Amino acid sequence: MMTSVMGGDVEPGTGDDVSIERPDTESDRPVQLPRRWRLSDPLISAGATAGLLVVMAVVAEVGARSGWWRASTLPATSTMLSGVAGLMDDPQFWSDLTRSGLEIGLAILFGSTAGLLSGLLFWKLPTLGRIFEPYLVSFYAVPMVLFYPLAIVVVGINASSVVILATIMATIPVALNTTVGLNGIRPVYLKLSRSLQCKPHQMLFSIALPAAAPFIVAGLRLGVVYALIGSIAMEFVTAQAGLGYRIRYYYEIFDNDRMFAYILVVLVLSVLLTALLAGLERLVVKGRTS
Amino acid sequence: MSTIQLDDIRVEFDTPSGKVVAVNGVTQQVPSGGFVSLVGPSGCGKSTLLAVISGLTRATSGQVAVGGKAVTRPGRGIGVVFQEESTLPWRTVQENVQFALQIAGVDKGEQVERANWAIDLVGLKGFEKSYPSMLSGGMRQRVALARTLALEPGVVLMDEPFAALDQQTRIFLGAEVRDIWQRSQQTVLFVTHDISEAILLSQQVWVMSYRPGRIIDVIDVDLPEHRDASIVSSPAFNQLHNRVWSSLQEESKRGFRQQETRT
Repeated sequence: MMTSVMGGDVEPGTGDDVSIERPDTESDRPVQLPRRWRLSDPLISAGATAGLLVVMAVVAEVGARSGWWRASTLPATSTMLSGVAGLMDDPQFWSDLTRSGLEIGLAILFGSTAGLLSGLLFWKLPTLGRIFEPYLVSFYAVPMVLFYPLAIVVVGINASSVVILATIMATIPVALNTTVGLNGIRPVYLKLSRSLQCKPHQMLFSIALPAAAPFIVAGLRLGVVYALIGSIAMEFVTAQAGLGYRIRYYYEIFDNDRMFAYILVVLVLSVLLTALLAGLERLVVKGRTS
Repeated sequence: MSTIQLDDIRVEFDTPSGKVVAVNGVTQQVPSGGFVSLVGPSGCGKSTLLAVISGLTRATSGQVAVGGKAVTRPGRGIGVVFQEESTLPWRTVQENVQFALQIAGVDKGEQVERANWAIDLVGLKGFEKSYPSMLSGGMRQRVALARTLALEPGVVLMDEPFAALDQQTRIFLGAEVRDIWQRSQQTVLFVTHDISEAILLSQQVWVMSYRPGRIIDVIDVDLPEHRDASIVSSPAFNQLHNRVWSSLQEESKRGFRQQETRT
C-alpha cells in the first residue's frame, strides 16, 4: 500500500530537536519514485493481447487451410470473419442480438439492484444476514440451469424465464460481496460518522458505500459475467431466439461456419463487457493504492 | 467559553465475563482554552473517558458538560481526532478536510476556504490533490487533524493521535499541535501513554489508575510557555517526569498483573 512513500514516513530532524518551530517540510514530502513499469503496463498488456490474437488467428487460418484439422472442426479465421461480416446484414442476427442483449441487460440491472439491496439489508440487519448468508453461499455453487425447466413451467419459454434465472445468478455474487464489503468497514469510520453527526443518507453515500466500493465492484464484475453466462446458457438449452439459441440451432444443422460466427460474436460481447467493468473498477479504486 | 466539566463520571460495560467498571468517580475540569493531558496504563479507561466527553459513549452515571451544556450525544462544538487512521482513502487531502464541513452543511465556497486554512495550519500545503495512500502515516494524521480543526470546534479531544507514529514524527506533530493550540486557544484534552509527551505539551497532566479508571494525580506543568529541546534535560522537567512516573508505576504494575492473570 505504501510502496511509493519510502522515506516519506520519516519526518525531518532528530530526536533531540524538540523545537516548537515548524520543522522544515522539505523532506516531509513523499518521495515520488519514478514508476516506469506502471506507465507502460497498459501498453504491454494491450500489445500482448493483440499479439496473442494475431498468433491464434494465424494458427487457426493455417491449420484449417493446410488440413491439420478438418475445416468443420475449426474453420479458418477468414471464414469465421466473413461469416461475421455476413451476419451484419442479416435481420435474424440483429433480432437475436437484441433479444440476448435485452436479457443480459435486464439480468444485470435487476441482479445488481437486488444484490446491492440485499447486501445492504444483510448489513443493516445482521441477524437476517446470519440466517440467509449460508443459503446464499451454497446457492452460489448450484448450477442454476437446473431450475430452468421449472422457470419454463412457471412463465413459459420466453425471455422472462431466461431473465429470471440469469438475474438470480447475477444477484448472488453482488449480494455476497456487498455484505462482505459493508461488514468490513473499519470501525473508526463508523465512529467518525457518529462524531460528525452524519445523517443516515450521508453515512450511506459518503462513508459506507465508498468504503465498500472495491468489494461491490468486484461483485458487480462477477454479477455481469454470471448474467451473460446465464442468459446464453439458458438460451442454449431451450429458447426460441437469442444468440445462445442460434448457436445451438446451427450446431444441430451442422452449419459450422455460421455457428462459429455467432460464437465469435458472443466472445466479443463478453470481452467488451469485461473491459467496461475493468474500467469501472479502475475508476473506483483510483487513488486508493499507490 | 468551552470548559469541560466532569462530575462524578462512572462508566460500566457489560462483557461476557461480567460487568467491568471502566471509569469511576471522575470529577475534573479542563478550563476554557486549557491544554490537559491524560496519561495512564493501557486499558485504564482513558479512551472511554474521552468517548464520554465526545458524546460517543454514554456515562452510566455522572454529568459531562462542555461550555456549560450537558453532553448527551456528539455535537458540532466538540472535535475528535482518533487514534486509528481515519482518513478516507477515496478522497484527496482537500476532499478529506472538506468532508466534515460538507457533512455540517457548510456552503461550498466556505468549505474550500476553511479547508485551505486548516490544510495550511497543519503544514500540508501543496498536497491538496494527493490521496492518503500517497502520504506517510504522519501526514495522514495531519489530514485527520486538519479535518477536525476545519470545523473550528471549541473543544478538541485527541485520543492518542500519534500512537502509531515513530518517535521523531510524534515529537514534531506534538509541537505543532501545541503551536496550533497556542494560536487558537481551543480547549484540548489529549490522551497519551507517553509521559514526556504529556508534560511537553500540556498545562496540566491527569494520571489515571488502572481499572476502574480514577484520576489519582493532577500535576500542574509549570514550565515556560515556549518549550524547546533543552527543556527535556532541565531539572524542572525531570521532577515532573518523576512525579508522573511514580504515580503511574504502581498502576501500570497492577494493570500488568491483572492482565497476566486473566490470560
